[in-house]
Amino acid sequence: MTNKHNHRDPLAAKRLSLCLAVILLVWPLLIAAEFNPRALIDPANLKVIGHFLWAFLPPQTSTDFLIELFNATMQTIAIATVGMVFAMLIGIPLAYKISSVCRTYLGMQLLPRGLLTLLRGIPELVWALAFVRILGLGPAAGILALGLTYGGMLAKVYAEILESVDQAPANALIAAGSPRPLAMLYGLLPLASKELISYTVYRWECALRASVVMGFVGAGGLGQLMDQAMKMLNGGEACSVLIVFLGLVFLADKLSAWLRDFTATTTSSNAFAFNRLHMVLAFMLWILVLASFHLLQTDFSSLFSFEALQTMARFASGFFPADMSSAWLTKISYGIWQTLAISVLGTVCAAVAGLLFALCKPRLIVNFFLNVCRSVPEMVWATITVLAVGLGPFAGTLALALHTTGVLGRLFAQAIDNAPIQPINALKQAGATSSLAFLYAALPLIAPQLLAYTLYRWEMNIRMAAILGFVGAGGLGQLLYVSMSLMNYAQASSVIVAMLFLSILVDQASAWLRRFMQA
Amino acid sequence: MSFQLDHIDYVHANGFTALTDLSLQAKSGEQIALIGPSGAGKTTLLSLIGTRLKPTHGRLTVLNQTVDADNKRALRHLRSQIASIYQQPPLPGRQRVVTAVLAGRLGIWPAWKSLASLLYPMDIDGAANVLSKVHLSEKLFDCCDQLSGGQLQRVGMARVLYQQGALVLADEPVSALDPGLALAMIQLLQQDARERKATLISSLHSVDIALSCFERIVGLRDGQIAFDLPTQQVTPQMLDHLYANESTAHHSTTDRYTTVNRTPVPHTA
Repeated sequence: MTNKHNHRDPLAAKRLSLCLAVILLVWPLLIAAEFNPRALIDPANLKVIGHFLWAFLPPQTSTDFLIELFNATMQTIAIATVGMVFAMLIGIPLAYKISSVCRTYLGMQLLPRGLLTLLRGIPELVWALAFVRILGLGPAAGILALGLTYGGMLAKVYAEILESVDQAPANALIAAGSPRPLAMLYGLLPLASKELISYTVYRWECALRASVVMGFVGAGGLGQLMDQAMKMLNGGEACSVLIVFLGLVFLADKLSAWLRDFTATTTSSNAFAFNRLHMVLAFMLWILVLASFHLLQTDFSSLFSFEALQTMARFASGFFPADMSSAWLTKISYGIWQTLAISVLGTVCAAVAGLLFALCKPRLIVNFFLNVCRSVPEMVWATITVLAVGLGPFAGTLALALHTTGVLGRLFAQAIDNAPIQPINALKQAGATSSLAFLYAALPLIAPQLLAYTLYRWEMNIRMAAILGFVGAGGLGQLLYVSMSLMNYAQASSVIVAMLFLSILVDQASAWLRRFMQA
Repeated sequence: MSFQLDHIDYVHANGFTALTDLSLQAKSGEQIALIGPSGAGKTTLLSLIGTRLKPTHGRLTVLNQTVDADNKRALRHLRSQIASIYQQPPLPGRQRVVTAVLAGRLGIWPAWKSLASLLYPMDIDGAANVLSKVHLSEKLFDCCDQLSGGQLQRVGMARVLYQQGALVLADEPVSALDPGLALAMIQLLQQDARERKATLISSLHSVDIALSCFERIVGLRDGQIAFDLPTQQVTPQMLDHLYANESTAHHSTTDRYTTVNRTPVPHTA
């Protein structure tokens, strides 16, 4: 106790500089995202969104509309299903090609790896927009877009799953002279089948949501109906579509959870032996696929006709060479910066709001609210926030924040529930309020987990922020949408390259971050 | 009156009766040692006084207030006057010692001060002062997960010293400390309580410390008070009877007390 009155917090300087760094970083982000909460209470905006939301009640229930709605719902399910079939047709061979399993030597695989990056890096919405140009409005564009993007995703994850299981049985078969495909079928598939099925089912659920979103660029289904309702500011119709959509997502979520549960609990001894229930499921799946193809009545053979290929080639050639003029590149750089700004601010707002909601009571009401936030895709939120605050990046930030609040709020609530209770109770015992007790006794323990969730979500939000502009919510997407609308494909091409670049960058950064956080 | 229990019953949620028809009271500034075999109900009794548990039957008054769980504000105010030491120090691992100690006054500080203290500790000198009393000055800015069990227990004690409650409840406060340090820490708690005229009640595993440091001994067995006497009147027979046929019989009663010291040792100032 020699320097009793000379205690300084050794972390003070670090914390102060961190605060300053955050302010210095956030300030330009706020400017880039045109962050302006006052737009929310601007009378003109209030009038538009107020009228629109007021018209939500009652939802549109005329027979004509309900029939249309039913057809659109079936179409959405069919698009997702057929899209998944296409995705598997692409994903399975590609996974086989790039996976290192049962190989003594894995070459550079430049072509398949490049193809994979291209497929995964370009969002399905961009593909959809392009295919709508070639094939016209309708489900075909959505199916192809889903097939390409999800094909890339399936390939990557399938390969990872195959690499993650015990390699010994397959390697033993290889050593005994079995060809690689057979060694994989007999040695790896029994071990990996559950996970492969589980991931495929999960992706189908995602495809369902994605097919709704793609409707906004004219690729059919519920989304197209929603888009029409929004453009005509028809609140009643929008409300009906939204209700059906939420119900569909809820059912798909339950079905997919049940299916995954079902495959996970099947004992390993009969993992691949078909029992009667498996047969029924497989049969129903087959019916679903057939019915989907039948419903869509798209003549896919015409896709591969000479004329179609010619049209595609002509369309694609418009994208080359990309516009690399410095004026356009400057615009793109600003678009990237704006996209990052939208993603950062949206995620930060969501993390703060999610934490507050996770602490709120009663849980039942809060959970319902969070579930609604989470079930409405960012793109649908964006169409609503655009009405609320006008076109521009602020609408995108709000849309991301709303959806992400639902996701993070739920994850945060789980993390809080799992935090040890004794430190919190000890502080409450000493008279602290619940919120202070939480901040002092629980937050230090769960902060790393909350941060990990937030970073993971941010990674997804960067990709999302890049395409929110399709409905006018700023960022790279808006540049792409405008240049596509003006048929300026050379410019569109360089924006797509920028998106690809951003996606690769995010991939690398997140891989690095994961290693860093594990260390 | 610091606390008063009148004919208290306590039945746990699982149906186990922890305390039966128990009456106990303490005047302000009294210092009481609570002894008895494991499972006698010592922790339950301390939890009742600390308003953590609500008696199944009977009347409970703490610091001249009947406990009203519905009046949240009044309950918080009451609790800010009650300082508790736990067997397992309830400190989050990733928190710094200084913050963990300052958390003792969350019930007293205004909200803004508590919030600001998360960014910059608002009373470093105060924390350093109590930490020096438990011989942990050099750990002021360390993280709790870098401390040993005994050090953590002393940080918990420092938090209680910092809180300065009018009623101090200690549940096996020195169980993780070596005998010499244990005695010193109990004397520290006693001295602090005496200086502030606070009431101290502590359950103790070591009968030796109880007899040598405290003037009043309460023996608890099977949820009832076996004896409640000034230290001078506690006989070895009473202690043998208190711990007889203890379910955890593998450590003999001699493990708890070797020499029965009838006169309290002079308190080191």
